Amino acid sequence: MRTIKLTISISVFVIAIAFHVTTSVGLMEASSSDAEASHAPGTLTFNKDIAPIIFQNCAVCHHPGGAGPFSLLNYQDVRKRAEQIAVVTESRYMPPWLPEPGYGEFADERRLSDKQIEMIRRWVKDGATEGLSSDLPPTPKFNEGWQLGRPDLVVKMPEAYTLPAGGTDVFRNFVIPIPVTTMRYVKAVEILPGNKKIVHHANLLIDRTQSSRRLDAQDPEIGFGGMDVVVESESFDPDSHFLFWKPGATPWIEPDGMAWRLDAGTDLVINMHLQPSGKPEMIQPVIGLYFTVQPPTSYPILLQLEHDGAIDIPAGKEDFVITDELTLPLDVDALGVYPHAHYLGKDLQALATLPDGTKKWLVRITRWDLDWQAVYRYAAPVFLPKGTTISMRYSYDNSADNERNPNHPPKRVVAGNKSSDEMGHLWIQVLPRARGDVRIILQEALMRQRLRKYPNDFMAHFNLGAALQSMDRLDEAISHYMEALRARPDNVTALNSLGTAFQSIGRLEEAISYYRKVVQVRPDYVDARYNLGNSLLTLSRVEEAITHFRQVIQIRPDDANAHNSLGSAFAMQGNPVQAIAHFEHALRINPAHADARENLKNVRAQKAKD
Amino acid sequence: MGLIRRVPLSVTGILLAAIVICGNETSLIQQSRPLDLTGRQIEPFRATDAKAIVFLFVRTDCPISNRYAPEVRRLHEKFAARGVTFWLVYPDRDTSVEMIRKHIKEFEYTQGVLRDPEHALVKIAGVRVTPEAAVFVPEGAERRMVYRGRIDNRYVAFGKARPAPTTHDLEAVLEAIVEGKSVTATTTPAIGCFISDLQR
Repeated sequence: MRTIKLTISISVFVIAIAFHVTTSVGLMEASSSDAEASHAPGTLTFNKDIAPIIFQNCAVCHHPGGAGPFSLLNYQDVRKRAEQIAVVTESRYMPPWLPEPGYGEFADERRLSDKQIEMIRRWVKDGATEGLSSDLPPTPKFNEGWQLGRPDLVVKMPEAYTLPAGGTDVFRNFVIPIPVTTMRYVKAVEILPGNKKIVHHANLLIDRTQSSRRLDAQDPEIGFGGMDVVVESESFDPDSHFLFWKPGATPWIEPDGMAWRLDAGTDLVINMHLQPSGKPEMIQPVIGLYFTVQPPTSYPILLQLEHDGAIDIPAGKEDFVITDELTLPLDVDALGVYPHAHYLGKDLQALATLPDGTKKWLVRITRWDLDWQAVYRYAAPVFLPKGTTISMRYSYDNSADNERNPNHPPKRVVAGNKSSDEMGHLWIQVLPRARGDVRIILQEALMRQRLRKYPNDFMAHFNLGAALQSMDRLDEAISHYMEALRARPDNVTALNSLGTAFQSIGRLEEAISYYRKVVQVRPDYVDARYNLGNSLLTLSRVEEAITHFRQVIQIRPDDANAHNSLGSAFAMQGNPVQAIAHFEHALRINPAHADARENLKNVRAQKAKD
Repeated sequence: MGLIRRVPLSVTGILLAAIVICGNETSLIQQSRPLDLTGRQIEPFRATDAKAIVFLFVRTDCPISNRYAPEVRRLHEKFAARGVTFWLVYPDRDTSVEMIRKHIKEFEYTQGVLRDPEHALVKIAGVRVTPEAAVFVPEGAERRMVYRGRIDNRYVAFGKARPAPTTHDLEAVLEAIVEGKSVTATTTPAIGCFISDLQR
């Protein structure tokens, strides 16, 4: 056999949990000073005193075509709701804003001052008069189309879903395939939920592996149920952006250098909270994508604190507490926060304790209300130095006094995806201060914390193994993959990853045995078959390798790597004609395939010599 | 309203003065009578061999009121054939006949419809919000109000609702009536859009 330099690459596959949410923010600034000018009692009028408050804080949803169920754009509109407005502002049901003041400074806070609430109350009590037309500020104008202008790509949910007229709220997920054929960078997403009046919130998740299509296929209706979605990922590609819609929100544009990658074949999954209106409603969201040619230079990550495993709330328990914490392995800036619990959630707290003992509140919600869950972005980045411990403390009320309790009478509740189950999640978007992509260091810290909570957890061991592998700490990676496989012996992704780790350190026989196990369990798992072929090829077991590469190509005819490897195998076999054909094939698929080009050159040179 | 008599009832735990209305149509002041969708004045109390007359006060643009449409439909289907007459009452004088027609079509209401622009029925029943129900039963030549309040207890406050009601107050009252049980006058607090806002 001749020696030809052959280059092949190993595919490494990693699962990460993806939960992708992003928010956008209200139009108005909280400059309420105009409306707070002092007044002699009894002189309040709509035009002078109340319209500025309403226009600034309410009209963003309460206008024709807006998310609110009625308009509040003029005296007539407001007069016909006056007492109701006084009641719902006093109870702080409206405008909806959950974070307690003084527990974190957020952008676009939608919260009335006590003084504004008192003005509304007094105005109503005194007869809700209109006042002088010269006092009326201009009526706010709203554009119902794309807020960011015409998107570069508009994608509609393929089929409309019909929300039933009545019953409980619906939490449903819809898969929206994105028709891009080349990789793009996304700097903004605009979500038009369609029927805004029935949508309480919408999250977009990025599914690069089409794993949600399987869930969709299992559910006979359009979309699939569930309040929380776990998306599989085949590479360490952690969630880094909140892609979130809430009523009255304006779309968020990522800061420079923080675009996210959209690969060909990616699905977006829209996770929606829908509230029946009394009549059947059609829902068919439209997504607008805004691209940029600037690749990301800053790499934020969503850190998840949670303790679902500790959620086991006895029936009737009024104050059940879960906690979690994470100590940061490097300096970060926190950019936003997204707390999540279901109907039993009561008091949600997130606190950062800095290395010098200083405490910084990240968010506190004392009256949790799932209906208005949202992403909150900080008014200014919150610096959290290395060694800071982020702690979450959530409490739950599973008593009959909690009217929102899904069980009547109360029942024992554990963690789960249904709205009658419970959850305790805190997502914090952080941007490491170090240059480049250092998210893997945070991932390692997250997974080590997860192992402290769940010592035998598959996902923690697997993701930790993957993180360690990507940092070239292969012995440690192998031991965590082994632990992962103890939890799920037939998990093909973990078997394949373990194979790649062994392959990387040259323990090819072990690698081959794990790949063989994968293709035994899942014959169509082409990545493992490709890796198996390459391991065999390295051991010069050329015939076997060729068999596997042919099978890969049968399933994935456009796999340039497989053609390159098959070409290499033929070259080793002394079949330059076939080898050249496959290197050329690889280059037709991907003209930038450097290995194939190099191999082709070498084989041609060799052939010319012969 | 001289013909509306308020007779205190001693009922444990439940506030209420009974409201009794003569079956005679003059019990409503002529010009303030409710109207049907053709503009004709209607005397809803005059009817009838009905075992009960139910007024459901609704509004086209009140979300809580609208969310009850399927439940209202269910109750109507359940009791209409058992001698209960339902009226859907729109108390907002600014809501046009066209808007009401569109509303009942969209929400598939099948009951009789009344407009109550002068709030004659609102005052007789003493309702405060939409949606709110008032139930009258015949008593000789008169009509006695036996229930006023919520349809069920799903809503606790604005923005605070149970996933499903745990008491079906209106249904229980109607069930008792059609079964011929004696019914004591009760009220329950209803949550919804204030009718007083329509009186300004």
